[in-house]
Amino acid sequence: MSEPSQPLLEARDVSKTVRGPEGRLDILAGVSLAVHAGESFAIVGASGSGKTTLLGLLAGLDVPSAGSIHLGGHALEAMDEEARADLRRRMVGFVFQSFHLLPALTAEENVMLPLELEGRDDARARAHEALEAVGLGARRRHHPAQLSGGEQQRVAIARAYVHGPHVLFADEPTGNLDQRTGRHVADLLFALNRDHRTTLVLVTHDATLAARCSRGVELIEGRLAAPAVAP
Amino acid sequence: MKLLRLALRTLRREWHLAELRTLAASLLLAVVALGVVATLASRVERGLLASAAELIGGDAGLSAPQALPQAYADEARRRELAVTRSARFPSVAFAGERGQLLDVDAVDRAWPLRGVLELAAHGSSTIGHGPAPGTVYLDHRALVALGLAVGQRVQVGGQQLTIAAELVREPDGGELVAMAPRAVMNLADAQRAGLLGVGSRAGHQLLVAGAPAAVDGWLAWAKAHPLPQGARLVTTEQTQERMRSAFDRAGAFLRLTALLSALLAGVAIALAAQRYARRKTPEIALLRALGTARGRVIGLLVATLAALAVPMALLGVLLALGVAEGAWRLAGTQLVHVPTTLPLLPALGAAAMGLAVLAGFALPPLARLAEVPPVAVFRASMVRRMRRVDTLYLVPALVALALIWSQSGSAKLAGILAASLLGVAVVAALLALLLLWLARRIAPGAHPALRLGLAALARRRALSTVQATALSLGLVALLLLAVVAPALLDGWRRELPADTPNWFALNLQDDQRADFTQRLQQLGARELNMLPLAMGKLTSINGTPVDRLHFADPRAKDWVDRQLRLSWTGTLPPSNRVIAGQWVGAQPPRAEVSIDTMWRDMFGLKLGDRMRFDVGEGTLDATVASVRQVDWSSFRVNFFLLLDPAHASGLPHTWLASFYLPRGHAEALAQLSRDYGNLSLVDVDALLDRVREIVGQVGGAVRWVLAFSLLAGALVLAAALATSAAERRHEAALLRTLGARRGQLRLAAACEFALLGLIAGLTSALGAAGAGWWLGRAVFRLDGFMPPLAPLAGAALLSAVVIMLLGLAGTRRVTRTSPMRLLREQ
Ligand SMILES: Nc1ncnc2c1ncn2[C@@H]1O[C@H](COP(=O)(O)OP(=O)(O)OP(=O)(O)O)[C@@H](O)[C@H]1O
Ligand SMILES: [Mg+2]
Repeated sequence: MSEPSQPLLEARDVSKTVRGPEGRLDILAGVSLAVHAGESFAIVGASGSGKTTLLGLLAGLDVPSAGSIHLGGHALEAMDEEARADLRRRMVGFVFQSFHLLPALTAEENVMLPLELEGRDDARARAHEALEAVGLGARRRHHPAQLSGGEQQRVAIARAYVHGPHVLFADEPTGNLDQRTGRHVADLLFALNRDHRTTLVLVTHDATLAARCSRGVELIEGRLAAPAVAP
Repeated sequence: MKLLRLALRTLRREWHLAELRTLAASLLLAVVALGVVATLASRVERGLLASAAELIGGDAGLSAPQALPQAYADEARRRELAVTRSARFPSVAFAGERGQLLDVDAVDRAWPLRGVLELAAHGSSTIGHGPAPGTVYLDHRALVALGLAVGQRVQVGGQQLTIAAELVREPDGGELVAMAPRAVMNLADAQRAGLLGVGSRAGHQLLVAGAPAAVDGWLAWAKAHPLPQGARLVTTEQTQERMRSAFDRAGAFLRLTALLSALLAGVAIALAAQRYARRKTPEIALLRALGTARGRVIGLLVATLAALAVPMALLGVLLALGVAEGAWRLAGTQLVHVPTTLPLLPALGAAAMGLAVLAGFALPPLARLAEVPPVAVFRASMVRRMRRVDTLYLVPALVALALIWSQSGSAKLAGILAASLLGVAVVAALLALLLLWLARRIAPGAHPALRLGLAALARRRALSTVQATALSLGLVALLLLAVVAPALLDGWRRELPADTPNWFALNLQDDQRADFTQRLQQLGARELNMLPLAMGKLTSINGTPVDRLHFADPRAKDWVDRQLRLSWTGTLPPSNRVIAGQWVGAQPPRAEVSIDTMWRDMFGLKLGDRMRFDVGEGTLDATVASVRQVDWSSFRVNFFLLLDPAHASGLPHTWLASFYLPRGHAEALAQLSRDYGNLSLVDVDALLDRVREIVGQVGGAVRWVLAFSLLAGALVLAAALATSAAERRHEAALLRTLGARRGQLRLAAACEFALLGLIAGLTSALGAAGAGWWLGRAVFRLDGFMPPLAPLAGAALLSAVVIMLLGLAGTRRVTRTSPMRLLREQ
């Protein structure tokens, strides 16, 4: 795999501090990493070590307290929330541990959302395709409440890649699923990475899942445990 | 007790929730609105009784055409009541060459026991009692007619009396008619002069006053014994009757205001309870999963609600009492000259009613909450969907009905309100479903940003429909309060314009008409109207003599024995409405009569029945051609029976004139009554003044309550809307994560809430206009009342915009904070 000179995603000396009920709390401190286009990148660590926080920062859902993050050549901390939203829509897809599907919408309508936000006219057809691709073509009229956890997560994956994002962020996508279903969901993610060269940034507890990634980092209490592992 | 402690703890933890605060505020509003109005109404009622006593001059009494037995006075004294005696008779007074017929009250020195006798002497006015022996009070008209001044002497009943003061105002029993100028003299003088003996035309009166229980006891005692020949008891209730009509309408305004505020609170409570139930669902599911019995869950919910409601209701009672006292001081004091105490019971009743509203409107969602299955822990979204048909939701409807029924005080008001609100609810729901269906249809082809909002609405069809309906109901209440009620009040006020006829002239002869009219015009009288007046008796119905007919209604016998006042006119008089048949017109082919509803009911008459009247020497057979609804409170001359001019004008008759004459013409009028010796002039200024006063004062009180409940209602409605807007926050946060632009979120929210606002604004404007129109005519008896359409439309538009802005405000937080935090918050 050839490595382009410019990383797609880069964090430099990022830290995150929040003011909690018990005073200042440093969630992340001095985190630096780089992810290149087409890579699959794992973030591992114990619970509460700051993985979700880091992922949120990398995806531009939040801004770091210090340091800088570049996504596709844009410095996220220099943009306002509106501009970051715009960037997210063009470049980013999400898969959450707890799915975050809209309960009032059908599976298909959930998948249509990112396309509708872009104002695409072929939203329904493309959503249908995406659902077919995750093996849920027959369930597209169902509401989330009528789907199992694994099925919901597959809908979430379809939603995450239906608009062809450059990077797909996944926060413990298999955390709520049994082993087999988890493997199936992971297979889907890696297939996307392989077939569409979608960059994958994955947060996980699961060592086998991390091992399937080309590279990774470990977080311990908000700090990187070791330099990024070479592929 | 453990449950209560747990409930208190829950309440403390959840007090920051907007929906709980909304619940509390709504309950407070309901209790305050109901309490203020109930307190004011009961106080005005008492005040009215007291002012009736002022008109009589005592708390109760007995009047008879002859001197009253001593036993009545003795019994009153035994009950520690104050007693006064008086007599009234006509007598001609002389001063030099001049003579004038006076209405004379002969009174003792204790008179009056209640109310005021206002006197004027040497430019200053005083409050006094009956005149000392040898002195007399004359009113302005009498002084002018006799050419006398205070301090001079006048001869009454053969006695020379000194005029001690000018009579300005006296308790006159609420009499409409002061036929002649008046005088008040000493009772002993009158007796000495032989004015009260057998054969005199004097009417005698005994009045008592004192503690209410003692007065009631005396009245009961008097009723238990046969009354002297021709005597009748004088009570405040009878006297008050005349003010009743004015007060009834004022009361209807007050009750309408309170009722609408309470219903408004109910709507807000329902919305807040729904939201609270949704928020509590996962918690209840967890409790159930952890093994809490359903009964205990219900117990906890009820206890939490009670812990919130009871202190709020008590606070509401205190506030209501405070506001009622304030409103009374600001607006009510002049209504009644007797101090009344603040009644406590009505406010407590209002608290009970407020709690019932809370229970009724909050019950359905909370009861459903207890049914959350433990398995919902795993799938929170499962229980979120609403049942399509849920009989439990009949409960708030029933509570609303019960409230309307108990508060409106009149079946008509209740019926109209209930029907209007139901109509609004149905129309709003249907319109919402239609628009949502349309939205779903056009959403796919719409502008992408619009599509998002339309789709959001259409997908939450059930919730959106409920919300649109609730908003419409709330807005109807607000529009009725803000726009229709003041218009009704204005309409009522306008009913008694400044130039309402304040004088009547009776007994005018045919040949005096032209001359009399000219004289009045010279004086500057306006609104002159003359009607013929014939006195006659009803002799047969459909050919059967009346003395052989049997009537179920006891009043009928009375009217058959009486001399009836008959009149005729070609045009339907104002404040009359034909409700059956055709108006007679000027030239019907045969003699026709138009009867009022009371006569229809009393004699069981129907169209086409024939009635025979004997008038003087002549008789007239007339066919019942129409039935009229007459507004007897309109202060116009009205008749139960109206004949047609073509056939009736031959009957012996006099004329009755009504006209408006500005004050300050006493001298000219005195001359007029001297020139037309046969004429009786009647002054109704005092009564008009009193009714105007009531309208003004009650109007002030209504406005006070209105402004207050309006403000509270708007606040609660806004809060309810804001809570529901928060519901959309999570969804918006997720859309934000997916990269939705601020503009897109705004447009979606704007479109969503604009649609809601449109539905609510449209239906509520229509509903308020309809209900206002109906109420104005049927309950407030304002002929031709039109609700102000332009302000209604404006207000509806404004509320639609406000609803949209409130919806937009809900998106502000989303577009400002990082989606990460929003997602974590969930
Ligand atoms: N807004 C916040 N306020 C206070 N503390 C926060 C906030 N956000 C995160 N934290 C804390 O920061 C730490 C890291 O949180 P984060 O969710 O990133 O952990 P994680 O590594 O994803 O854990 P898990 O594997 O359990 O999901 C936790 O201790 C969390 O409580
Ligand atoms: Mg996490």
